[in-house]
Amino acid sequence: MPNPAITFQHVHKDFYLQEDRTFKEVIPNLLRGKSLTKKYTVFHDLSFEIREGETVGIIGKNGAGKSTILKLIAGVTYPTKGTVAVRGRVAPLIELGAGFHPELSGYENIFLNAAILGMHKKEVEKELDQIIEFSELGEFIHVPVKKYSSGMYMRLGFSIAIHTNANILLIDEILAVGDFKFQKKCLDRLHAIKKDRKKTIIYVSHNEESVLDFCERALLLQNGKLIKDGDPRSVLSEYHTL
Amino acid sequence: MTFLKTLVFPFTHYKYLLLQLTQREIKARYKQSFIGYAWVILNPLSQLLVYSFVFSVIFRFSTNNIPYIIFLYAALLPWGLFQGSIFTATQGLVDNSSLLRKVAFPREIIIYAIVLAKFVDFFISAIIFSLFMMILHVPFSTTSLWVVPLLAGQLLFTVGISFIFSTSNLFYRDIQYLANLLLMLWMYMTPIVYPLSLVPSQYVWLYKLNPMVGFMEGYRSALFHDPFEWTIIVWSLGIAIVIFFVGFFIFKKAERTFADVA
Repeated sequence: MPNPAITFQHVHKDFYLQEDRTFKEVIPNLLRGKSLTKKYTVFHDLSFEIREGETVGIIGKNGAGKSTILKLIAGVTYPTKGTVAVRGRVAPLIELGAGFHPELSGYENIFLNAAILGMHKKEVEKELDQIIEFSELGEFIHVPVKKYSSGMYMRLGFSIAIHTNANILLIDEILAVGDFKFQKKCLDRLHAIKKDRKKTIIYVSHNEESVLDFCERALLLQNGKLIKDGDPRSVLSEYHTL
Repeated sequence: MTFLKTLVFPFTHYKYLLLQLTQREIKARYKQSFIGYAWVILNPLSQLLVYSFVFSVIFRFSTNNIPYIIFLYAALLPWGLFQGSIFTATQGLVDNSSLLRKVAFPREIIIYAIVLAKFVDFFISAIIFSLFMMILHVPFSTTSLWVVPLLAGQLLFTVGISFIFSTSNLFYRDIQYLANLLLMLWMYMTPIVYPLSLVPSQYVWLYKLNPMVGFMEGYRSALFHDPFEWTIIVWSLGIAIVIFFVGFFIFKKAERTFADVA
């Protein structure tokens, strides 16, 4: 059996919402002894394990905590209680091109974005041609990305993320990338990666068909609890009864 | 991880990211401007001309045989580095909030990159300054080398303050406005446009508590071969080290919540 790639143990996650943002509101509340923040619990006691090479879909209504799971795996946020253990490097295919600088060219942004995703100079140089080729940007690669259409922007972001040597991919509604043809190309690439079984893929989407088609396992979240864990078909039918 | 390891981690494991983010700061700033990077020189130069007009033609401070423009430049340049770094770094985390929510890396790299980029600008201006000194026949002395440790101290101080301000600004945006106000006041509370000798003697001990006084006086003593006032220099370096570690501690402590508030 493959090693675990991601382990959540009794994860409890609270957010503190700053409600009173202005002086005028803060002072009266301080005088009344009211707390400045409001606690909001996303997870009470969440435990699961994902093994290397698995492709797992996460299903749940808006606000069920899907994005929070991805953030916990990416290591940008931390559990309030419990532990999250991740083995290997994570490439988030969320908010593609989040680190792009609009004034820099696509070419310059490849190096910047790849560095943000944890690549070294040599690794970037090795993948450079393939990144440019996959993005299908052609000569536009030397144009500042602020001139790009949203599709071009996404294509470059996707292409960089997919060429990192990360072994865990986080995918959030990615299939809104570019036009139909490019979407298919992305999906084909993801299928190829999946077949390799070298990378672990966590997939979040509201598109049930793509979850059925793509994932071999699904987790169903409701109100911060894991209520079903199994093959996508049975998990989705449970989801419909909610 | 031990403390020391945490401290050097960005420089050992994230060198390439640090380099890339620094380049981004430098490259992006003057894109789509006609003369581009020349602004790095033109900006301080024009500022310098304005100040030297006001303070050497109108106010006429006495600066002991050193041309006023050189006297001014020796402090205005490092002050510009200090002010520019803090001004940009205060907004550094807010400006990069999309990164904070997405990818994990030691967040202090964002601050280091901003300060490094400002240092590159400073370095270019410093070369121009050296040319000025030669043209105006100000003799170079070997004591000038003291500028290096003084600058290192100033940078530690800068980074420490940047840590504190950028973290606070992520929680409350008031900090960026307060920082501007503070920096403006601070400049006039530091001997930059005027010599330290003009400060009334009964307040001078209080005035010298400002750590930037030691740095600015230090630069001038080093460049113009004047005697060093070691007590204020040691004070400044001491405060710089303390502020750096306090800032680092606060920053790393708050770092875990950055993505939740960004």
